[in-house]
Amino acid sequence: MRILYYTFILCLLATISFGQAEQKKKVVPKRTDNYIRMTGIRVGMDVTRPFQDLWTKGNRYGSEFSLDMELWPNWFPVFESGYEFMKIKTSNIDFTGKGSYSRLGIDYNFLQAENKNDKDILFVGLRYGFALASQQVNQYQIDSYWGPITGRFGNQNFFAHWGEFLIGLKGEVFHNFYIGWTIRGKVKMNHTDFVLPSVYFIPGYGKAEKKFTLDFTYSVYYNIPWDFRKSLSDKKPDSKK
Amino acid sequence: MKRFLYLILILMAGSACKEVFEAPPQAFLQVSFLNSSTNNPIFPSTTVWGIGLENLWVKDSVLHEILLPLSANDSTNFLISFDSHIDTITFNHETIQKYASMESGFYFEYKLHSIDYTHNRIDSIHIIDSLITKKWNENIILYIHPLSVGNN
Repeated sequence: MRILYYTFILCLLATISFGQAEQKKKVVPKRTDNYIRMTGIRVGMDVTRPFQDLWTKGNRYGSEFSLDMELWPNWFPVFESGYEFMKIKTSNIDFTGKGSYSRLGIDYNFLQAENKNDKDILFVGLRYGFALASQQVNQYQIDSYWGPITGRFGNQNFFAHWGEFLIGLKGEVFHNFYIGWTIRGKVKMNHTDFVLPSVYFIPGYGKAEKKFTLDFTYSVYYNIPWDFRKSLSDKKPDSKK
Repeated sequence: MKRFLYLILILMAGSACKEVFEAPPQAFLQVSFLNSSTNNPIFPSTTVWGIGLENLWVKDSVLHEILLPLSANDSTNFLISFDSHIDTITFNHETIQKYASMESGFYFEYKLHSIDYTHNRIDSIHIIDSLITKKWNENIILYIHPLSVGNN
């Protein structure tokens, strides 16, 4: 996992340095699709969150929704929010972790549109994520020759935050309906910790002990066809009156 | 869409064998036996049981080294029989609860403060390392009187 972490950091540095090199050369070709293609607000639901139990250790479930819009041509500010729950029950421990998380960020589409109806995007994005969560050890048991020792730890509330770098695809499958996926590298910034037990699971991030995690999402979206720019321009004459 | 369904099926198949949780580590007090006259390793027939317990920890085993489990209390009492000569040992220690992970759970580590013992076969006890952790290492040396010729 440490290799992935360093690979991610190197990619990030390479991207930054590449960007700087491009600025120096000033040979960036101008885009011909410098217009808003997707009016309205796109609402999405990540369909993978309820099924995370299939590929993670323990019982992990959740739900996640997102909002994004093309505020400037090819730039999409994004807000994502969700809730996750994790339970591990073995002969030694009965653990529950749960909480909500949110992410704020922006996506940049680098797929050139062929026309105004071409709304498919291939994007890279950055996110700042944070979680307000809690964990509880309902019961633990330490087996010994001297007999088992049992105990519990009450509810512990904590805060965690991290950064994400992602790449993804969104394609319009029907009018205003989209599907898409993202691959996300997550770098932990910090989290509240306790003497005993340590924070184990951060909703929206994963295992707290890891400095870097990889995630995959697959979402369905609906673009609410509300052209707020038109609404604003329609209101302007009214305001003059 | 078909590929997505295949992916789900592969993940479901993979999930069938994913739930393997390791047991938490355990900290044992490692004891070595030396001949008090020659300082050479000694191999007595050893039986060990905790005072107040019915189950034996070790039964009639010829050993030079032994791992002893300490209790969660501040002291742990054992009866140790070396070639049918019984001694009592009390380990006075501090018990520290440790967190392994939410997958395996918790365990105890110990800091040994002092040892009280009887002198039937035990000559003396020397503490090498007072920290008893999940990484087992020699903690004490137990010097045992050699059996006299008549007792052999």
